[in-house]
Amino acid sequence: MTSEPSARGEYAGAVIDHFQRPRNVGHLAAARDVIQGSAGSQAQGAWFVFSARIAAGRLAVVRFQAYGCPHCLAAASWLSERLVGAGVAALAAWRWREAAEALQVPAAKHGRLLLLEDAARALAAAWKTAPDKPG
Amino acid sequence: MNAPLPIYLDYAATTPVDPRVAETMIECLRTTHGNPSSINHDYGRRARALVEKARTQVASAIGARPECIIWTSGATESNNLALFGVARFHAQRGRHIVSSRTEHKAVLDPLQQLEQEGFEITWLKPGADGIIQPEQVRDALRSDTQLVSLMHVNNEIGVIQDIAAVGALCRERGIAFHVDAAQSAGKLELDVESMQVDLMSLTAHKTYGPKGAGALYVRRKPPLGLRPLILGGGQESGLRSGTLATHQIVGMGEAFEIARRECAQDVQRIAPLRDRLWQGIGGLAGVELNGHPQRRVAGVLNVSFHGVEGESLQFALRDLAVSAGSACSSASETASYVLRALGRSDQLAQSSLRFSLGRFTTADEVERAIETVTREVARLRALAPRA
Repeated sequence: MTSEPSARGEYAGAVIDHFQRPRNVGHLAAARDVIQGSAGSQAQGAWFVFSARIAAGRLAVVRFQAYGCPHCLAAASWLSERLVGAGVAALAAWRWREAAEALQVPAAKHGRLLLLEDAARALAAAWKTAPDKPG
Repeated sequence: MNAPLPIYLDYAATTPVDPRVAETMIECLRTTHGNPSSINHDYGRRARALVEKARTQVASAIGARPECIIWTSGATESNNLALFGVARFHAQRGRHIVSSRTEHKAVLDPLQQLEQEGFEITWLKPGADGIIQPEQVRDALRSDTQLVSLMHVNNEIGVIQDIAAVGALCRERGIAFHVDAAQSAGKLELDVESMQVDLMSLTAHKTYGPKGAGALYVRRKPPLGLRPLILGGGQESGLRSGTLATHQIVGMGEAFEIARRECAQDVQRIAPLRDRLWQGIGGLAGVELNGHPQRRVAGVLNVSFHGVEGESLQFALRDLAVSAGSACSSASETASYVLRALGRSDQLAQSSLRFSLGRFTTADEVERAIETVTREVARLRALAPRA
């Protein structure tokens, strides 16, 4: 039986790539067309904050900040790329298993990916409840 | 092409074998194959002579007489033999033992086993600096206390306990005193007589010797009753049966001989390197030193990093071979019980690293370590949301 990469103190190549060169790091300043969603905390061991600019009914720009293990940081970076171009329905429907499979995240870390999903849902909720629903 | 090896800053986990020790061991393996117990022929007598020379070398390093040294496989076995051996032998005299919460697992686990056998353990809590005050030991002693066990130097934070003061307290009350000196041999001057120690656990592999060799000092005058754990051939005065590993023992003897001779110059060279490392890392915001700032061995620096997750910190610093808490327990991903005993939160304990320097650490390695830590901590903090 092959053990998961991190069970041997190793990480999948995609995790190392995103950990070393995280994409879309940062935070967009509050604006009419900017939404934000977050979940987790330092005390929970994982904390994700996403901000995004909406244009023409799509996420045009996505930024993230994250605190957590290498899998968490890589998953947030990976998701920030995936979300560009997504509509509100796709954002709300996103599930953590997609990141778990793509990054070979071990079962012990799946709880932290649930927090990532919560952050995506919070972003979708912010979009749905934005006063003038941009785009 | 293979990637270069990380900078080794994990001397408290294990030290490289000193080339002089390796040479001595190789020579022994090449020329001496006799069983040290077969003293009826030259092969055995030759091996026996090497074993006894090593016994004298180890004894000299701790101010003991050679006949007080019992060979074991390492400090874990020495601790087990000392604790089980004394506690069970003297069970009729009393079933109370005093120790501390920050001992190595090789002491904690045997003591917890003794608790299950009906012994009562008083677990002393150190101060926030990791120090157990002798008064805490004195206040814990009872009429039925038969054993006190304290480590000399803590393996995670490097703080030094006042062994001589505790030794005096125990000796005047006739209580056996065991000291785990795995982390202090070769780093501090050891003298079992002036420290009034009855049992001392030693290991070779943290003193530039081989893994798999250790010793237990057992006071002989007056004799200290000890029940063996391993029965068989009756070697080591019946206290530790099993064919002696001649080349390992020879290596330990040579390592302790070098340590006795060069301890002062090692400390003189390593302490400024550690101070430079702390100066470089301590300049970052949100960094805390764990353990007493002065009462510590030269080579150990345990640091907590606020605002950085522990696993990411370790992975980001994979160019440095350092330990997260204790090397023996970090695989379990639990926060260090030593740092928690000092009052650190679970989260901060997990974001702590032990840098340990040694005989072969260079100033250039320390500078590169400072650069790496400074860069990676800043990078991870820049990724994190603002608290």
